[in-house]
Amino acid sequence: MNKFWVITKEVYKKNIKSLGFIVMVLIPLIIIGFIAGMTYYFSQESQNAEPTPIAVVTDDPALQELFSDEEWNFDIAEDITTEEEAETALTAEDIEGYMVINTEAQTLEAEIVHSNGLSNQIQIISEVLTNYQTMLRADDLELAPEQVMSLTEPVEVEETVVSIEAGALTEEDTTDRMIQEWSAYAVSIAIMAFIMTYSGIIAEEVANEKGTRIMEIILSSATATNHFFGKLVGVIMVMLTQIAIYAAVGFAAYLYFRDTDFVQGLIGEMDIMGMLQELLGYTLIFFVAGVLIYVILAAFFGSLATKMEDVNKAVTPIVFIALAGFYVGLFAFTSPENTLAVVFSYIPLFTPFVMPFRIASGTVATSGIWLSIVGTVGFAALISAVALAFYRSNVLVYSDTNILGTIKRSWNIMQSNKKARKQRDA
Amino acid sequence: MLEVKNLRKTFGGLTAVEDVSFTIRPGEIMGLIGQNGAGKTTTFRIILDLLTADQGEVLWENKRLSKKIFNKIGYLPEERGLYPKVSIENQILYFAQLRGKKKSEISPLIDDWLKKFDVKGKKTDKVKTLSKGNQQKVQLICTLIHEPELIILDEPFSGLDPVNAELLEEGIREAQSKGARIIFSSHNMNNVEELCDSLIMLKNGRQVLHGAVRDIREQFGRTKLFLESDLSKEALLEFPGVQRVEKNRDGIDIVYLTQADEGKAIFEAATRNGYIPTFSQQPPTLEEIFKRMAGERNE
Repeated sequence: MNKFWVITKEVYKKNIKSLGFIVMVLIPLIIIGFIAGMTYYFSQESQNAEPTPIAVVTDDPALQELFSDEEWNFDIAEDITTEEEAETALTAEDIEGYMVINTEAQTLEAEIVHSNGLSNQIQIISEVLTNYQTMLRADDLELAPEQVMSLTEPVEVEETVVSIEAGALTEEDTTDRMIQEWSAYAVSIAIMAFIMTYSGIIAEEVANEKGTRIMEIILSSATATNHFFGKLVGVIMVMLTQIAIYAAVGFAAYLYFRDTDFVQGLIGEMDIMGMLQELLGYTLIFFVAGVLIYVILAAFFGSLATKMEDVNKAVTPIVFIALAGFYVGLFAFTSPENTLAVVFSYIPLFTPFVMPFRIASGTVATSGIWLSIVGTVGFAALISAVALAFYRSNVLVYSDTNILGTIKRSWNIMQSNKKARKQRDA
Repeated sequence: MLEVKNLRKTFGGLTAVEDVSFTIRPGEIMGLIGQNGAGKTTTFRIILDLLTADQGEVLWENKRLSKKIFNKIGYLPEERGLYPKVSIENQILYFAQLRGKKKSEISPLIDDWLKKFDVKGKKTDKVKTLSKGNQQKVQLICTLIHEPELIILDEPFSGLDPVNAELLEEGIREAQSKGARIIFSSHNMNNVEELCDSLIMLKNGRQVLHGAVRDIREQFGRTKLFLESDLSKEALLEFPGVQRVEKNRDGIDIVYLTQADEGKAIFEAATRNGYIPTFSQQPPTLEEIFKRMAGERNE
C-alpha cells in the first residue's frame, strides 16, 4: 500500500475510534435532541392545557357564546351573572378572570379583570370585540354583508426586494434571500465549530508526533509531503465522516418525523430542497475552502510546537484569526455594504466568514464572488506549499524560544538544506 | 556497504559536523560516541536524509543514499515515543507498513518478537498501559521487525536494566548475523566495547577517534599496569617511567606509566623471586580515553 494511504488510514482509524470523536459527534446531537424534545414537550403542554376558567358578565348572550368557542380554550362559568359574583369567584380563585361587557347603542365597553392569566389574549379579545361592534353597527346601518366586507377589506401591500447589479434592478425572491441569509449564518457557525475542533485535532496529531520523535521515524520512512498530506486528508476524512453522520441522522429524523403535526408546523413553510440547493452552492465552496485553510495552518503551527503542552499556545493565533473573521461575518450580516465587510470579504482568511453574508444580501456581483473564490482557493494552495516547505525543517527544531524563534531556526535549516542540495546537484 | 564521506554541515555560523567519514560493511557494528552536542544526532539525520550535508556524501552500495532505501532502514531516535492510545500490535504494523511491509508479512511475526524481547502484556494492550521499559522494547521491535539492512540506534541502552540491555544486545547481534550494518550511539562505553567492531568519537563536530576498538585502545599504549607483588609503592615510583601508583580496593597496585616499555623492567623486578598473582599491562579503557579526549582542548 502506498505510504500516503498508510498514514491517512492510520490517522483516520485512530481518530474515529477515539472517545473524543464519539463525544464530539454526539454532543451536538444530544443538544439538538434536547432542544427539540423540550420544544415538543412545551407545545404539547400548551395544546393540552386546561381551559382557563373565566366569567363573562354581559346582557348579550351572543357575546358569551362568542367566547365559548373551543378555540379560546375558556371554561366559562355560566352561573356568574353579576360583577360582584365574578369578583367573589376571582377572590376565591375559582376563576382566573372575568370580563364585563356593556352594550349600549351599538357601542361595546369592556372591562377585563384578571390575575395575569389572560395577558396573552387581550389583543385578540379586543379585536374580536371590535369586529362584533362593527357587525352591530353595520346591522344598525342596514348594510349588506358585501358592504361590510368592502369596508373592512385590508389594503393589499406587495413587497418586492431588488438587488442593484450593473446599474439594473433585479427582482429578488424574499424567501430565497432569507434562506441564503440563514444558510450563511449556519455556515459561519459551522466553519467556526469545525475550525475549532479540527485545527485542534491536527495540531495535536503533528505536535504529538514531533514531541515523541515519532516524526523522525516517519520522516525516515516516508517523505514529508506524504506525511503532511496524509495527515491532512486523514483529518479531513474524519470531518467528512462527522458531517455524513449528521446528514444521515438528519435525513432519518426527517423521514421519521416529517408527518407529525409538530414538525409540519416547524418546517411546513420551509423549502427544504431550496435550502439544500443553497447550501450546495457557493456556501459549500466557502465552507470547504475555509476549513481547509485553517486546518493547513493548524498543521503548520502544530509542527512549530516542541511538545504536546505547547499545542494550545501554537494554535492560538489561528483561533484569534478565525474569531475575528467570525465577528466580521456577523457584522456583515447586519451591514453587508460596510467598507470593512467589503474589504474583509476579499481577504482569503476571512472570505469564508464574510462573503456568504454579502452573497445572501445581494451586495456583491457574481464576478466579485468568483474573484473571492479564486483568491481563497489560490491562498489555500499557497499556504499548503509554504507550510509543507517549513514542515520538513520545523519538525527538526526543538527550541524553548517562542514561535518566531522556532520559525527563524527552521528557516535557517531550510535555507541551509536548500543551498546544500543545490550545490550537490550542481 | 554504507560509506559516509567527508560530511560537513553548518547552520548559520555554527559548524555541526566537519569532515566526518566512515564505512560500515554488512554485518559490522559501529559505535558513535561523543559528548552531548558533539554532532551525533546531526550525523544520523544526514544519513537519514532529514538534513542535507553542505559537503560530502552518504553512499549506499556505491550510490547516493536516497528515499529509495528508506524501506531498508531501522531507526530508533534518542527520545522514545509511541502512540499511547494504539495497541502494541497496531503500532508495530503501522511502522512496518511505513517501511513498505505488508500487514500479512508482519502480523505472524509479532508474537515471536514480543516473546524474544520478553514484553510483558498482550499485543492488544494499549501502549500506555505498559511500563517504560516495555514501551522501549516495543519500540525496538518496531525498529527491527522489518529486517532493516541499515540500523541506526540513538542511545538504545539508556534506561534499560541489565537484563533488558542483554536482550537488546542479543537483538543487535542477531541483526548483525543477518548482515545488517548497524550504528549506535551510547554513553555507556562498556556497551560500545562489547558490541562494536569499530567506533567513531566526535568532538565539536569533528572526528577525533576512528577505528577498531582494539586498535584505538592500543594506539594509546599499554600504559596501565595492574600489579600484585612484593614491590612497595616507593620502590615502584623509583622506576623512571612511572607516573604514579594507586592501590585499588582489592590491594592491587595500579601503576601508571609514561612509556609502555617500562613494563618489562617492572615485570623483571616483580618476578625476581618467581610467582606473582597479577601482572597485567593494559591500554586505557574506552571510558578513560573518552574522558581524556573530551577533556582535551581542540587542537
